[in-house]
Amino acid sequence: MKQKLLEFKFKRLGIAMVFLLLSLNIFSQTITGIVTSAEDGMGLPGVNVAIKGSTNGSMTDLDGKYTINVNNPQDILVFSFVGMETQEVLVGSQTAINVALKSSEQFVNEVVVVGYGKLNVKDLTSSITTLKSGEISAIPSGQAMQALQGKISGVQVIGNGAPGNSPTIRIRGLGSYADADQNPLFVVDGMFYDNIDFLNPSDIATISVLKDASASAIYGVRAANGVVLIETKSGTYNQKSKITYDGYFGTQVAQNVLKMANAEQFTTMAMESGSAADISFIGNAMQRYGRSRINPNVPDVNTDWYKEILRTAPIQNHSLSIDGGGQNASYSIGASYFAQEGILAMKNDYERFNLRSKLDYKANNWLTVGTNTVWSNATKYSEQASAWNEAYFAIPIMPVYDELNTNATPTKYSSAEYLGYRDGKNPFPTMDFNENRLKIMKLLTTFYANIDIIPNKLSFKTTYSYSLEQLNNRIVGLPYFVSPVLKRDDSYLSKSSALGTRNYWDNVLTYTDKFGKHDLTVMLGTSYRDEAGENLYAAANKIDSQDERLWYINQVGEANVLTSGVGDGGYREYGFSYFGRVSYNYDNKYLVYGTLRADGTSKYQEKWGYFPSVGVGWVISEESFLKNISQINFLKLRASWGRLGNDKVDASDGATTTTAVNTAINGQLVSGAVTTSTFTWLGWEVIEESNFGITSKLINSHLSVDADYYIRDTKNAVIPIQYPFGLGSTRKNAGQIRNSGFELALNWNNNITNDLSYNVGLNLSTLKNEVRDLYGQPYIDGGSAEFRQRSIVGDPLMAFYGLEVAGVYQNDAEIAADPVAVANDLVPGDFKYKDQDNNGIIDGSDRVVLGSYFPSFTYGFNLGVNWKNFEFSANLMGQKGNKILNRKRGEMIWTNDGNLDADLAINRWHGEGTSNSYPSSAGLRKGWNQKMSSYFVEDGSFFRIQNVQLAYNIKGKKMFGAPIPAIRISMTAARPLTLFKYNGFNPEIANGIDTQTYPIPAVYTFGLNVSF
Amino acid sequence: MKLFNFSIKINFLMITLLFIAACNEKLDTPPENTKFTGETDYTITDNMVLPLLGAYAEFQSRGWEDFPMISVRGDDVNAGGLGDQQDFTEEDKFNYNKDYWMFNSVWQNLYADIFKTESSMEQILKYKEFAANPSTADEYIAEAKVLRAFLLFQISRVWGAVFIPTSSDPSDLLVANLATKDEVMQHISDQMDEVIPLLKDMHPNERVDIPGGVTKYTALAIKALANLELKNYQGVADATSQIISSGKFSLEPDFYELFKIAGKLNSENLFEMQFSDFGKGTGDNMIYPFEFFGPQGWTPAVSGATGGWGFYEPSIKWIKFMLDRGETTRLQTSVLFTDRGITEIESDPNYSTLPAWITNTTPSGDVLNDYARAKFASGKHYLPSDQLTPGRTVYGTNKNFTCIRYAEILLMHAEALTQGATGSGMTADEAVNAVRDRAGLAPLTGVTNGQVMDEKFAELAMEWGTRYYDMIRLGKFSELSYDGRTFTEDKAYLPYPQIQVDLLPALQNK
Repeated sequence: MKQKLLEFKFKRLGIAMVFLLLSLNIFSQTITGIVTSAEDGMGLPGVNVAIKGSTNGSMTDLDGKYTINVNNPQDILVFSFVGMETQEVLVGSQTAINVALKSSEQFVNEVVVVGYGKLNVKDLTSSITTLKSGEISAIPSGQAMQALQGKISGVQVIGNGAPGNSPTIRIRGLGSYADADQNPLFVVDGMFYDNIDFLNPSDIATISVLKDASASAIYGVRAANGVVLIETKSGTYNQKSKITYDGYFGTQVAQNVLKMANAEQFTTMAMESGSAADISFIGNAMQRYGRSRINPNVPDVNTDWYKEILRTAPIQNHSLSIDGGGQNASYSIGASYFAQEGILAMKNDYERFNLRSKLDYKANNWLTVGTNTVWSNATKYSEQASAWNEAYFAIPIMPVYDELNTNATPTKYSSAEYLGYRDGKNPFPTMDFNENRLKIMKLLTTFYANIDIIPNKLSFKTTYSYSLEQLNNRIVGLPYFVSPVLKRDDSYLSKSSALGTRNYWDNVLTYTDKFGKHDLTVMLGTSYRDEAGENLYAAANKIDSQDERLWYINQVGEANVLTSGVGDGGYREYGFSYFGRVSYNYDNKYLVYGTLRADGTSKYQEKWGYFPSVGVGWVISEESFLKNISQINFLKLRASWGRLGNDKVDASDGATTTTAVNTAINGQLVSGAVTTSTFTWLGWEVIEESNFGITSKLINSHLSVDADYYIRDTKNAVIPIQYPFGLGSTRKNAGQIRNSGFELALNWNNNITNDLSYNVGLNLSTLKNEVRDLYGQPYIDGGSAEFRQRSIVGDPLMAFYGLEVAGVYQNDAEIAADPVAVANDLVPGDFKYKDQDNNGIIDGSDRVVLGSYFPSFTYGFNLGVNWKNFEFSANLMGQKGNKILNRKRGEMIWTNDGNLDADLAINRWHGEGTSNSYPSSAGLRKGWNQKMSSYFVEDGSFFRIQNVQLAYNIKGKKMFGAPIPAIRISMTAARPLTLFKYNGFNPEIANGIDTQTYPIPAVYTFGLNVSF
Repeated sequence: MKLFNFSIKINFLMITLLFIAACNEKLDTPPENTKFTGETDYTITDNMVLPLLGAYAEFQSRGWEDFPMISVRGDDVNAGGLGDQQDFTEEDKFNYNKDYWMFNSVWQNLYADIFKTESSMEQILKYKEFAANPSTADEYIAEAKVLRAFLLFQISRVWGAVFIPTSSDPSDLLVANLATKDEVMQHISDQMDEVIPLLKDMHPNERVDIPGGVTKYTALAIKALANLELKNYQGVADATSQIISSGKFSLEPDFYELFKIAGKLNSENLFEMQFSDFGKGTGDNMIYPFEFFGPQGWTPAVSGATGGWGFYEPSIKWIKFMLDRGETTRLQTSVLFTDRGITEIESDPNYSTLPAWITNTTPSGDVLNDYARAKFASGKHYLPSDQLTPGRTVYGTNKNFTCIRYAEILLMHAEALTQGATGSGMTADEAVNAVRDRAGLAPLTGVTNGQVMDEKFAELAMEWGTRYYDMIRLGKFSELSYDGRTFTEDKAYLPYPQIQVDLLPALQNK
C-alpha cells in the first residue's frame, strides 16, 4: 500500500515534470467553448471549468463562454455547476468544446444533510424530505415553515395569521402532552432553535425534515418532536459572483369570515331567551338608536363586528444576495427586509430586517476555516387577541360609535352598558388603547475549523456557535372612558427585557474510506451546550399618554411604580453529549446505518440518557435480476429503528419550591412565603420509532414513489396529572402514547418537448394517535374543567370527552314520556342526551369520547407546468378526521348575553321540528344544555387551494446589444380558497380549542426576481 | 515538515479533548433562580414569620365566586344577576348542577388554601428547632390552624361530608375516606381547643406583629361556630362566654360605618380579611372583588366611581321582615334600594306606604339607578364613593371583608343559652339586647330561642349564609321555601363537583 502510494507520487511528480516541460512550448492549447443549459439552450454563466487533477480552472462568462489553457491532450475538462450534473470531457485534439449541462434531477450524487455531516441520498435508510430554496420562497410568508404546508407527507403545518407568529409544526403526530412546546427541533447551521421566525425564507438554502427516529436520533434528547435542519445559503468555490434581488408586494384579505347573527336574528334570540333582562336590553337599544323601518321590533342598527375590525393589509419582502467564490474562498452575503401588517385593524404589524454573511476559507492544504453570521432585527406589534373574541360576542344592535355617549373620551365609542348589559361589548377600545411592542434581536454566529488529518479520509471539525437573543417588550395601556365598566382610569406601562444566550461547541471526527466494494463513513463527536437567560421587568401607572417619547418608567414618580410589577428571573442549563454514526454500504446494494448519542443535561434529576438508532437498506435495483429492467431505475427497501428523548418537557423541580407573595396587613404591604405542596420528579420521556419504507424511481425516472409506514411510541410520556382540590397539576412519567401512520409521496415529471415540461405530485398521510398505557390508571383528565379532555387507554390523547347529543326534545309528549326529561325539569328545546349505560339517568357515566383534534388523514397535491418562459404551479391540501371544540359557543356558560354565530341563531330550536341539533334560545342558557357534549365538538376537516403561482422568465436576452439580467416576474395567490363546515372562520387550530384564533388571510402578491 | 504538520493536528485534538473532559462537571449545576425549599436557611428564625404571612396572603386572596356560592341559598338573599350565571341562580333555587364551574372552582379555591396552610405549618416547624423562643413557632402554627379551620368549616357546611387534609401532600387523600360533617366539626372544635392556649390573649387589632391577625378569640369563635353546627350548645356557650367575659370586644355604635372604612380592624371584629390601597391613589392595590355585589347602574356622589355586576340581591322577604319589625338602622345599612325595587315592595298592599327614608339614594349620597339584573344591592358589601381614596374608582377598593364579628358571638351565646346551655359573661337577654340597642330597638325580656333566631336573621343577613345554615340545622325548611322555591332536606348539601368525582375515588361511590 505504502509502496503503491510512493509509486503513485513519483508517477505524479514525473507527470508534473513532464507537463512542466511540455508547457514550455511543447504542448499548450487554448480551448474555448460555450456551456449551455440542456433545458433551454441558454448560455450558463458562472460554470466552473477545471482540469481534472489540477488546480487550474476557469469560469464561464455571462454568455456561458469560457477559455482555458490545457497542457496535454490527455487532460480532462470538468464542467460543474450547482444544481447541474457534472460533465467530464477528454480534450484530445479539440480546440472548441461546447457542453450542455443537464440539471441534476437524478439523486444519484445528491447529498443530504443528516446532522453533523452529509450523506448521499441513495445511502439513506431513513425518512428525510428536503425542500429547496425555490419552493420555500414561492410562498409569500414571513415564516419559512409556512412553505411546507401540504408539501410533505407526515408533516402537519398549522398556520398562524398573526404577523410575525410561527405556524405550529407537527411531525408524525403528537407524542408528548400539550403543556410544553410541541414544535420540532430546528437546527440552523448547527445551532438549535425552537422556532425559526427570525429567518428570512429567502436566506434559506434547504430545509430538511428528519421524519423518523433513525434520522433524528443523532440529536438525541432534542429530537422527540422531529428535527428540521436548515442550511442558510452559502457561496461556492470558483464561482463568479452572482447578485440576486428577490422580492414581492402583496395584499392580505381575510377569508371565510364567520357570519354572525344580525340585529334581527339577535333580537329574536333575546326575545326567546326567557330572560326579562335581555328582552329589556333590546327595548333600551330601540330607545337609544331607534327602530328599524323594515322591522320595527328590531333596533335600527346592524353592526357586523367582524367586518368592522378586519382590514386588508399589505405584505412585502425584499432580499438581496451576493454569492460567489474564488479558489480558496467562497462567500455569500445577503440583506433582506420583510414587512407585514395584520388584518386586525389596530397597531398590529411585523417588520424584520436581516443581514447575513457566510465565508469559507481554505487556509492551507489541510485547514479550512469559516464563519457564518445571521443577524435579525424585528419589531412586532402584537394583536390584542381578545378582540377576536370580543367581536364574536359584540352585539349587532349597537353601532361602533355612539354620538350620544358624550362622556366618552377620547373617542365616542358605544358601550352595551348603556343598554343594560353588564359589560361594554365593543372590541374597539381594546384595540385602540392597547399596544404591545416586541423588539426581537437575534444573532447567530458560527466559527469552524476543519482539519484534514489524513486527506480525503480522516477529518476533524470543531465548531463554536454562539446565539444571542434579546427580546424587549413594551406593553402600553392608554386611558379611556367609554362607560363605567369599559374604561381605563390610569395609563399603564410595562416593560420587560429578556436576554438569552447559547454557546455550543461541537467537535466531530469523520473517517471515510472505500476498499473494494466496501464504502464506510464513521463519525464521532461531542457537543457541549451552555444555555442561559435572564429577564427583568417593571411596570408603572400614569405615563404621559400623548407622547410616546416619554414612555419610560423613569418618567413617572416613584409612587406610580408598581411594586408587584417588578421582577427578575433567569435560568442556566448545561448539556453535554457524545455521539457517533456509522454508515456502510456494500457494493451500493446493502446499506447499514447506525447512530448512538449519549445526552447529559443539568435539567433533570436523571442526568444521562442514551439514544441509539439502526437502519438497513437494500437497493434491489442494483441486483442483477433487476438491473436490466428499464422501468425500474432505482428501488430501495429500507427499515430503521431509533430512540429519542424529549427535553421540551419543562425542567422538573425535584423538590418543593418557595415563592414570595404579597398581602395587606393593617394598610401595609407585607411579603410572605408560600411553599408548594407538590413537585415534579421527572425521568426521560423516550420515543421509540420503527420505520419501513420504499424509495424508488420508475419509468425512466419520470415517476418517483416514496412510501413509509411508521410506529412511533412515546414511553414514560410526561403527562400532567390533575391534583384534586385545585392544587393544579404535576407532571409524571405516566403513560405510553403511540402514533402510527402511512405516508405516500408520488411525483411524476416529464419534459415533453424542450418548451414544455410538467410535474405532478401527490402526498398522503394517515395518523392514528392512541394512548397505549397509563401505568395502571384507567384515564387521565386534561383540558379545562368545563370542557373536559380525557386520555383513555385505547383512545387518542386528550380526546374531547362528554355527553353525546341524541337530539332535541320536540314537544311536551316527548318530555312526559322520558323519565330523564321529567327528572331534570326539561322542556321542549332542551337537549336529549344519549343514555350510554341505559340506566335511565344522565350523569357522568354517560360521557364518551367525542373525537380528537388530530387529523387522521392529510393530503396534498401539486402541479407544475413550464411552457417556454412561463411557469405555473399550484398546491392543494386538506385534512380530515379532526375535531374542533367551539369554545366560542361554550363561552355561554360564563356570559350569556352576547351575540352568537348566524348558524346557531338560524338553526336554533324554536318550535317542533325546527331543529334536532341546536337547543332553543332559552335552552342555551340552561346548565343542562351547557354540559360538555357533542354540540360543542365540530368537524374540523378542510380543503384548501394552498398556493397558485404564474411566472414569466426573461433569460439570455439582450437589449441594445448588452445582455440584460435574468428576470422572473411572478403572481401568486396563497390560500385563495378554503372549504370547511366548521362554524368558525379558521379550521386551523393547533390544540383543537377555538376561543380566539387569528384568521389566516388569503395573500395575493406580485413578485420580481432579478439576477446578474 | 509533514511530521510537524501532523503534530500540530494531534496537539490541537488533544487540547480539544482536554477541554471537552472539563465540560462534564457542568451537568450537576442546580437550576438558577429557583429557591428550593430545602435550601431555605431555617436558622434565620426572623424569617419564621414568612410562611405564616404567606398563609394569610393566600387566605386573603379569595376568588369572587367563593363567598356567593357559600352564602346565596338563605331566605335573606337572592342570586341577582338575572339572566347571567344561570346555574348560580339555580343554586339559589336549590337546583344543583354538579357540572357547574363555580362549584368546582370554590371547592378548589378553599381546599388549595387549606393545603397551603398545611405547608406553611410544616415550614414553621422547620424553623422551630433553631428558634430562640420555640413557643413563637407554636403560636404561628396555631394561627395557621385557625385559618385552615375557617376554610374547612365553610367546605363542610357546603358539602357535608368532606376530606380532612392531614398534611400538605394532596395525594394522601386519594386513598382517604370522607369524614362526616359532624366529624369535621368535631375535628375543628378539638383543634381549636388545642391551639387556644398557644395564641395571643388579645383583641386582633391589639396585635403589634400582625395587626388584625388571629388571636385566641378567633379560635374560640370558630370553636363556637363548629359546636353550633354540632348542636353542642354547651360547647358554644363555653366558647362565647370566654369571649364575652374577656371584655376585649364591643359593638361598634355606628352600624352603617361598621361595614365601611371605619370598620377596618374595628373593636367588633374577631376575624376579617384585610385589603388596602395603601392610602395612595395609584400603584399597588390589594382588593377584594366587591364588584360582584355592586349595583349595575348608579350615579355615585363622587363621579368616576364604578358600580358592580348586580349580583347578590337582598330578598323582598327579608326586607318585609325588617319593615315588619320597624327596623331602620340595619335595613338601611344592609340594603341599597332601586326605584324599581321600591315599587315592587309597594305593590304589596300591606307595604303600600314605606318609610320616607327608603329611597334610591344611600345615606352617603350615592344614587342607584334602575338596572335589569336586580332590584336591590347588598349594603354590607357597599363602600360609598366618598370613602374611596381619591384616584381609586373600583367598587369597594380599600374595604375589608368581615368574617366573624362580636354581634354574631353575642347572638350565638344567646342561642346556646336559649337552647338550654349555661354560660357566663352575659345572659341571653343581655346579649340580644346589646345587639338590639345598637340597632335602635327596644330591649326584650325573657328572650326565646325563636326571638334569638329572628334577631340573627335581622343582624347577620347577607353574611356567610348564616341564615341558611341556621335553618338547615334547626330543620326549619319551610323558611327556605319562599318566593316560589321549594326546599327539601336532600338539597341541604351541594353535590360534589363532577371534576372532583372524576379525580377522587372516595367521591365516586356517593
